[in-house]
Amino acid sequence: MAPNGNGTPLIKLESIKKVFYTDEVETHALIDVHFAIAKGEYVAISGPSGCGKTTLLSILGLLDTPSGGEYDLAGESVARLTPVDRARVRNRQIGFIFQAFNLIGDLTVAENVELPLTYREMAASERKDRVAKALERVQMSHRAKHFPAQLSGGQQQRVAVARAVAGDPAILLADEPTGNLDSKNGEAVMELLRELNQNGSTICMVTHDARYAQHADRTVELFDGRVVEAAAV
Amino acid sequence: MMRNLRLAARMLLKTPFVSGVAVLSLALGIGANAAIFSIFEQLLLRELPVREPGQLVNLAAPGPKPGSTSSNDAGRSTITFSYPMFRDLEKRQTVFTGIAAHKLFSASLGVRNEPVAERGVLVSGSYFPVLGLTPAKGRLLSPDDDDVKGAHYVAVISYAFWENKFGKDPGIVGQPIVVNGNTFSIIGVAPQGFDGTTVSQMPVVWIPLEMREQVQVREDAESRRSYWLYLFARLKPGVNIETARTAMNALYRPIVTDVEAPLQVKMDSVTMRAFKAKLLRVEPGARGQSQVHEEATTPIMLLFLVTGMVLLIACANIANLLLARGAGRATEMGVRLALGATRRALVAQLLTESVLLALLGGVVALLVAQWTMSGIVALLPPFAAAMLQFSLRWPVIAFAVGLSVVTGVVFGLFPALHSTRNDLIGAIRAGANQITGGRAAARFRAALVTAQIALSTSLLIVSALFLRSLMNVSRADLGVRVEHLATFSVDARRAGYDTARSAVLFSRAEEELTAVPGVTAVASARVPLIANSDWESTIKIQGHDCSAESECQVALNRVSAGFFGALNVPMVGGREFSAVDRLGAPKVAIVNQAFVKRYKLGDHAVGKYISDGNTDSLNVEIVGVARDIKYANVKDEVPPVFYTPWRQDAHAGDMSFYVRTSLPPAQILGAMRATMQRLDPNLPVEELKTMPQQIRETNVFDRMIGILSLAFALVATMLASIGLYGVLSYTVAQRTREIGVRMALGADARSVRRLVMRQVAGMVVIGGLLGIGAALAAGRAARNMLYQLEGYDPVAFTVAVLLLASVALLAGWIPARRASAVDPMQALRYD
Repeated sequence: MAPNGNGTPLIKLESIKKVFYTDEVETHALIDVHFAIAKGEYVAISGPSGCGKTTLLSILGLLDTPSGGEYDLAGESVARLTPVDRARVRNRQIGFIFQAFNLIGDLTVAENVELPLTYREMAASERKDRVAKALERVQMSHRAKHFPAQLSGGQQQRVAVARAVAGDPAILLADEPTGNLDSKNGEAVMELLRELNQNGSTICMVTHDARYAQHADRTVELFDGRVVEAAAV
Repeated sequence: MMRNLRLAARMLLKTPFVSGVAVLSLALGIGANAAIFSIFEQLLLRELPVREPGQLVNLAAPGPKPGSTSSNDAGRSTITFSYPMFRDLEKRQTVFTGIAAHKLFSASLGVRNEPVAERGVLVSGSYFPVLGLTPAKGRLLSPDDDDVKGAHYVAVISYAFWENKFGKDPGIVGQPIVVNGNTFSIIGVAPQGFDGTTVSQMPVVWIPLEMREQVQVREDAESRRSYWLYLFARLKPGVNIETARTAMNALYRPIVTDVEAPLQVKMDSVTMRAFKAKLLRVEPGARGQSQVHEEATTPIMLLFLVTGMVLLIACANIANLLLARGAGRATEMGVRLALGATRRALVAQLLTESVLLALLGGVVALLVAQWTMSGIVALLPPFAAAMLQFSLRWPVIAFAVGLSVVTGVVFGLFPALHSTRNDLIGAIRAGANQITGGRAAARFRAALVTAQIALSTSLLIVSALFLRSLMNVSRADLGVRVEHLATFSVDARRAGYDTARSAVLFSRAEEELTAVPGVTAVASARVPLIANSDWESTIKIQGHDCSAESECQVALNRVSAGFFGALNVPMVGGREFSAVDRLGAPKVAIVNQAFVKRYKLGDHAVGKYISDGNTDSLNVEIVGVARDIKYANVKDEVPPVFYTPWRQDAHAGDMSFYVRTSLPPAQILGAMRATMQRLDPNLPVEELKTMPQQIRETNVFDRMIGILSLAFALVATMLASIGLYGVLSYTVAQRTREIGVRMALGADARSVRRLVMRQVAGMVVIGGLLGIGAALAAGRAARNMLYQLEGYDPVAFTVAVLLLASVALLAGWIPARRASAVDPMQALRYD
């Protein structure tokens, strides 16, 4: 476990379990998972297919709830949050980067980046300002008025990164961010994440590719739902 | 909000064809409802255009009314008052600002030497003050115009009449107008939009009640046993209906018991008790007084039910569309939720889309409503079409908008909730191109289509019942061949003729009309044939004792010499009337077969004597028996009728003429009018039409219900088939991979088609059975509206079910064929 500067980790998981019940079958996706992420850290979660990486990321991102255990985000337990509060935390503290980019095809690049900001009580001028800065950070300002279908995969993922950082979240959660990209574009996105981390962003990335895991400060290895290794890179 | 609207518009434009079909579906549903609502609002909801209509009340006097009663379109005779009772109540009451009395009458008007047949109203002097109206020109009638019998020859005309007949002449006040033979002075014009207090009637002239004899309204005004006036009143400020009812009965009951009861002679004790217990009713009167309120309710509610079902079917399509769209956007919703959107915000966004769709449907619906109303106008006879305004007024627009919003919210809600359910991870991982949809949604979609089929089946069956009934009506044996007959009516009395002059006029008319080229025969009758008119009388029959008075109540008509021959109605026995049967000659009658049957006269009817009216003298000899012909309308059984020659009647003032021609009857109408104008240019010719036209107008409600319900049922079936097609297409698209696997494993095209058609069959069978059940219940409820048809008529049921099944199978066949054309290689590569 790597605590942050003041001793309180940004993310702290204790004895996290996740069980799926389907047609009388119990599937233990996560078993007694402990780990923490400090502010400013860049952590990779890796492991073979079906080991529980994405389930863990979903719990970290408040997209799913654990079957047991404790999850503290920025020192606060998230166990008893209402759905509305969970939505608020997702919106303000977490930025998502998905493998399939998940840009909304009916919105322009700028509108996609603006999307999380629209769920906040934020003035339009500030939203525009933040969108412009986010796009600038990923060097996609020139494509602001395009629709996702008009972009390449790499460009789409850059826009997805811009959308994730636009709200200035406490942590970026990236789920196989290079999974749908060729190696050149994959490297570029990794470079982008590295830059973001160097500028202070906390990042937790799921990947099954050891090459990309090396970009992180530390790798948490999962196997059959258990943390088997937490190694500094 | 604006962002939601922008996005909603973008979503609709993204799939213009699907959005267009959805908008059109909704437009048909909402438009049909808006059209029916327009009629509903005009006939049943609209308040009188007067000051504070909510303060008006109608008075009614139910209970035994021995003596004579007379009613018209303002309401049944149960609610009419005698003239003395009106004046008593008017003088003594304290709870109203005033009580007004009125009575509609047929008015032959002379305007600038042109005869016009219109409606007029006799009104008490309090009528306009109670309504609180301001004249458009001059002044309105006041109590001073109605204080002395026969003294004030003054009249108020309607705004529309002033506009149409006087060209809005600013010098209208003081101009003369001839009303039923007497000249009145126009003192003012009623305000624009005011057409009296009786929906469906648009009188053009208001005359003081005390001038009743001058306009030939010969009710027995002095008698307390003659009930003919309609009353309404305005509540004083602070007085409610309950208080008014109590106060008015405190006046009414003593008059009934102390003044009127002693006037009733030979009244049995039971009736006397009921007579003395009579109470005056005070009811809300904002809508005025009209028979239409009672008569139109059932047909309009029936049409509302039908159009409501059409809308439900359209809405089911929208819900299915939104569900399919929602499934296609599951990833988007998941991403939005992951980015921090609350479910409420997403539901609001999706509802904005469905409401926008519905509002667009609502806008197009106004066009559909206009077309529907035009269609209804085409079905209505001119007099009925004239009383309705078939334009889009604000209540109809508000109704359409309101219905659109409600439709958008109600039918967008389940899809919106379903699309934003908390299956975030599944939604996000499904990927943008994959269609997701849970079992609940699939069940919901199938249930919606099944419900659509059920509704369409029941609508088709009910419309088939009405259509078969209408066919029975149009094929009914009238007893008279109407194809080459034309007809018109005149009221000589209202044009100032006395009885003797009337008789001369009618005889001359028969002669002149017979001379018109193409005319083969002419007949005339006091009671128009098959025109919803009747005339009944209680008679005595030689050798027959009626156990109850009603047993000897029969219909009668007074007809011309040669009447039956001219109409080609064969005589079953005896002879036809001839010129010798005139005033002063022995009184004669012809009876119909129903008369012979009821009174069991067998072959001995001719030569028997009857009385003409409720007298003891059997002084009218039956000289012939005529074949039955329909009397007041097509649907009623032919009643027992006795005919007498009108030339033996001392009171013939009005007459209907029947002209048989070898030409198409419509070609001769002009010549008929010209002939009558030659005889007397000041005599209005009324109801000039062909007999087939007359019959159609008599059957107007049957035609309207039959044709409209069929039209709506076909629209409903079309919408349901679109729904079925949409759901199956969606299902096939969703199951492409499965179908590919099946085909890879050896399924042939036929078995794949069977797979899809089995789904169709399931929905059709369940929906069809539900629809048949509903139609059986509807058929039972509508039995009274069907003519010579049972509510479970097997032909109607079979035809409707076969039609529905054929359309449904066709709608299902296209997606089934598409499914069977799936290329397994492509399908398995599907991502």
